[in-house]
Amino acid sequence: MTDNTEGHISGKDKLEACSTLKEILQQATEFERTARDFYAELAPKVSKKIRYLVDELVIEEQNHYDLFIDLANDPEVAAQIKQEIITPPSNKRFSDCIQLPDLGDNPDDQTILQYALGREQAAMDQYNSLADSTPEGPLKDVFTFLAQEETEHKNELEKIYYEVVHSGGV
Amino acid sequence: MSIRDLLSPFTAWKYLLKNPVTIPDPLNDRPGSARYRGFHKNDNEKCIGCGTCEAICQNGAIDMLPVKGTATQEGDSGLRPRIDYGRCCWCALCVDVCMTGSLTMSNEYKWVESDPDAFRFTPGVDEKFWDNAELGYQRPEDHRLVEAKRVTMEEMDADTRINSFAEIVNGYSIEQAKLEADRCVACGICIATCPTHMAIPDYIDAVREGNYERGLKLLYETNPFSNVCGRVCTRKCESACASRHEGEPIAIRWLKRHIIDQVPFEKYREIIGEPDAPTGKKVAIIGAGPAGMTAAFDLVRMGHEVVVYEAKAAAGGMTRYGIPEYRLPYDALDRDIELIVSLGVKVHYNTRIGSDIAMAQLEQDFDAVLLAIGLQEGRQTRIPKSEHEKVYRAVDLLDKITSEEAFELPHCAVVIGGGNVAMDIARSLARMQKQQYDQVDVVVTAMEDQQHFMADADEIKEALEEGIIIRDNCGPQGCEIDESGHLIGLKTWKVLSILDENNRFAPTYDDSDETIHACDTVIEAIGQFSDTSLLGEELTEKLEWNRGRIDIDSNGRTSESWLWSAGDCVSGPDVVHAVADGHRVASSINSYISSNESSIDKQS
Amino acid sequence: MAYQPDRSQYPQPGADGKLDIDLTSGKYLKLWQGPQHPGITGNMAVELTVCGDEVVEGKVHVGYLHRGFEKLMERRTFIQCFPIVCRICVPEPDFNEYCYAAAVEELAGIEIPEQARWIRALILEMGRINSFLMYCGGQAGSYGMGVISQWTTYVRDLMLDRFEELTGARIYHMFILPGGVRDTLPEGFAQRMEETLREIEITMKDVYETMYCNAVFKKRTVGLGVIDPELLDSYGVTGPNARAAGVAKDVRKDQPYLIYPELDFEPILGQDSDIYTRADLRRQDILQSVDLVRQILAKMPKEGPVMSKLPNVLHWKIPRGETYIRGECSRGEYGYYLVTDGSGFPRRVNVRGPSYTHAMSLLERMIVNINIADVAGLMVSLHTYPPEIER
Repeated sequence: MTDNTEGHISGKDKLEACSTLKEILQQATEFERTARDFYAELAPKVSKKIRYLVDELVIEEQNHYDLFIDLANDPEVAAQIKQEIITPPSNKRFSDCIQLPDLGDNPDDQTILQYALGREQAAMDQYNSLADSTPEGPLKDVFTFLAQEETEHKNELEKIYYEVVHSGGV
Repeated sequence: MSIRDLLSPFTAWKYLLKNPVTIPDPLNDRPGSARYRGFHKNDNEKCIGCGTCEAICQNGAIDMLPVKGTATQEGDSGLRPRIDYGRCCWCALCVDVCMTGSLTMSNEYKWVESDPDAFRFTPGVDEKFWDNAELGYQRPEDHRLVEAKRVTMEEMDADTRINSFAEIVNGYSIEQAKLEADRCVACGICIATCPTHMAIPDYIDAVREGNYERGLKLLYETNPFSNVCGRVCTRKCESACASRHEGEPIAIRWLKRHIIDQVPFEKYREIIGEPDAPTGKKVAIIGAGPAGMTAAFDLVRMGHEVVVYEAKAAAGGMTRYGIPEYRLPYDALDRDIELIVSLGVKVHYNTRIGSDIAMAQLEQDFDAVLLAIGLQEGRQTRIPKSEHEKVYRAVDLLDKITSEEAFELPHCAVVIGGGNVAMDIARSLARMQKQQYDQVDVVVTAMEDQQHFMADADEIKEALEEGIIIRDNCGPQGCEIDESGHLIGLKTWKVLSILDENNRFAPTYDDSDETIHACDTVIEAIGQFSDTSLLGEELTEKLEWNRGRIDIDSNGRTSESWLWSAGDCVSGPDVVHAVADGHRVASSINSYISSNESSIDKQS
Repeated sequence: MAYQPDRSQYPQPGADGKLDIDLTSGKYLKLWQGPQHPGITGNMAVELTVCGDEVVEGKVHVGYLHRGFEKLMERRTFIQCFPIVCRICVPEPDFNEYCYAAAVEELAGIEIPEQARWIRALILEMGRINSFLMYCGGQAGSYGMGVISQWTTYVRDLMLDRFEELTGARIYHMFILPGGVRDTLPEGFAQRMEETLREIEITMKDVYETMYCNAVFKKRTVGLGVIDPELLDSYGVTGPNARAAGVAKDVRKDQPYLIYPELDFEPILGQDSDIYTRADLRRQDILQSVDLVRQILAKMPKEGPVMSKLPNVLHWKIPRGETYIRGECSRGEYGYYLVTDGSGFPRRVNVRGPSYTHAMSLLERMIVNINIADVAGLMVSLHTYPPEIER
């Protein structure tokens, strides 16, 4: 499953572009919002048996969404909101994720987890790149922090994935 | 009498000039010798509270008591020996027999107290000034009062067994079984660890006595799947056995099998006895695996009418369709099933609930329903290209082998997974390859290193002997397919680590260390899940769930008052656990249907 | 003074078999020697009837030490009996351990390793030395020579040190258990033992000078307490008491056990069978045992196991059978009669200690017609340990 989330960055995406912090924050907030709504909408459609997974994802994405809203309102961040930042190569994939996939009529737990993992991976890559291309300062700290958040969440999801799928076969 | 006799005694005067021989300060200047059997020490961490010291103490000086801060846990009773120095004679038999070597003695022998009760103390728990004494009696190297080595179970050699599915182990002879049974110290720590709390020390005693009918009666008190568990039990008892600390654990599983082997099947019914008078209550059980059939066994003996619905053509569940014949011959399993059926349990084979009969129908027709459907479906890795038709799930293939359903036998197979199911399919395929192609070509790849495989050590050892290749630390990354669409291999990355600091699964890979394992078939044996679609959408929505499994209370009852669930589908894969579940739900169902509760529920 | 065969001058037995002694006549006096008395060997008592200072009747009373070991063992598993048996005879416990272990091994069909056989013999000889040393002090003490018991106590204490380093205990060693012995000799044991043996030899020389070459001791012991060789078998007299009468009774030679056939020694014999002869014979026995310990340490194997494989001792059952195992302790034949019935417990254990015959039947006869002042000396010279009388 690791292959699904890695190594697909085309040459075109590597073209550097510039965005302002405001744009990046808006994009990130949108990313979390759509995710939350996606999962929230998915929840009643999946079997109750695995709904806990989706419910947990809704809560997690809501937390992230709140985090970004708080960030945008942080005066220290607001002061730099116009600052231009080199858009990292991972940006394409990151924004791709906002276009939501169709997981089918009745996705199983493994499918949901794989999808969620892909999203977290993309987000993690995005913030890591942003942090790398931002000069030392409060802004870099923000991206580093975000990258950390996403990494933790991805790791947690990965563990759940293995616990659900790789039960070891006795 | 001579002049010498008069003078000689005066030579005693020379002692006036000699130095005194007494030790001026014996309290400090006279430590006990290196082997001195002085006051007791106990390594509280090593001690498992087995109470063998208490059993051997001829003075009754030792009492096993709970101790603050020492919890009861698997393999540790949580009790610790308290010694009464008003009774102790310092013979050190307790040290000699100690199963873990935790109990030793210091060379200290002076202890002054004004309170006589202080001389009753728990070494290692009550701090004493000799706790760190370096000298003192320890059991000498070869001085054992209990045999440490297990009696070897004779088995077929690899060259012979690879040619057929015949059972590998021979079983103990009466002499061997007696010798092995003799090693048991009857501490009973195993009873607490066994999910169904079998009377292990008692039936081992029956082996020592040669009273096999008593042994069989004891087995059936807690386990109607003793034929099965005597062969393929996960034997948590053995991993808790006191003997494992300074030797090999007692071969509890083989001793159970030995009892089974000694009693003719015709005698079983007589020993077990007749069911109680009919109660007129009806219970439906879905799934004729160990959990369902154990519950059926209990309920039918309580006088209830029991109807079992089984989707397959025969009973046994995973013990039949998962476990290969060389580990568990069908006739052994058949005996367990036959006995349960002979008590009056009705079994409808080839009947699938959900499609043939609806759950709602069962709810209506029966006083209670038990769902014991197991973990039938194999998990998939879903690595790239694994949707190829030559990528199988191990459980599906094992099922085909038991059902004698045809499939294209791979010339060269790669198995993903390091558990017993992976070994089962690998070894089954190896046998079939040997018979059909006269050569074995099976590779088992797993993410763990071989020391940490979930499979039993015996399984791994025997698989290797049978010519199966094991490649550990391999994380599957994708299947390889050639231009014409044939599966040609499995790609893996080297696994650097598997568990995180909290012992949770979080593998890391070295993607530069890639291996392609050439093969024509890949078999996934990474885990199983339960297909609960038989419940239907409505019931699924009604039921409470707990992280993917039906939520049950401690009695195995679901959130629906008429429905219970037991076995692998709620407790995870394990035969003896399923048996324990079966007993638990049977007892809960019995108290429910025997009270008026069920008829009130029906009316409402 | 000794037992007078012509009894016409003494009270005659009445119809009830008891001597016709009229205490109201003023001619006789009852005297209790023991159970608390400096002139008694341990916890027992002799009820004396004296006429003047001459004993006309002596009754031995025991019962102060009855612990019921033989019965206790019937309720204990075979391994659980092992820590009990040494307590049957406090001053010389090791023969109990040996006899019990050997009896169990015979009935259970267990062979013990070679090294264990040598270590057992070593312990038994060390035990004999200690017991003899204790006797020497006691015999001297009964004649007012208290200082000698201090010297022998000192060297006995050195031997106890050797016991302690070998077995882990000083008195109740609990070292010889069914199947072998607990452990091998500790590092440097032989050398320290040699130092102890030398000290014993030096001390015994001093004891010889002051006790055996002592006019008072000789005067009071030569010719006193003679045991007629004719009486030996009918009274079951064994050990030094028999050998002092010139009869070579020694189990180590008569029915050799352990490794005794491989040791070079001859039983020491006396002739006069009086207190002095017995005392001197025991002194020589100490020196002989010192030599035997040296022989054992020189000849014994230094490698190999010391314990045979036992069945699980917690449910050890021994087939039906019976046996009698004997050994030569410092006082004569020590024996264990063990009956098993196939269960996990001994059916019957009977301990044959030499003290019962020496201190009860023999003493009651020998005490008649001797002087009160000689009672203690005579009793000690028979070398009795009351705990084994009662078990």
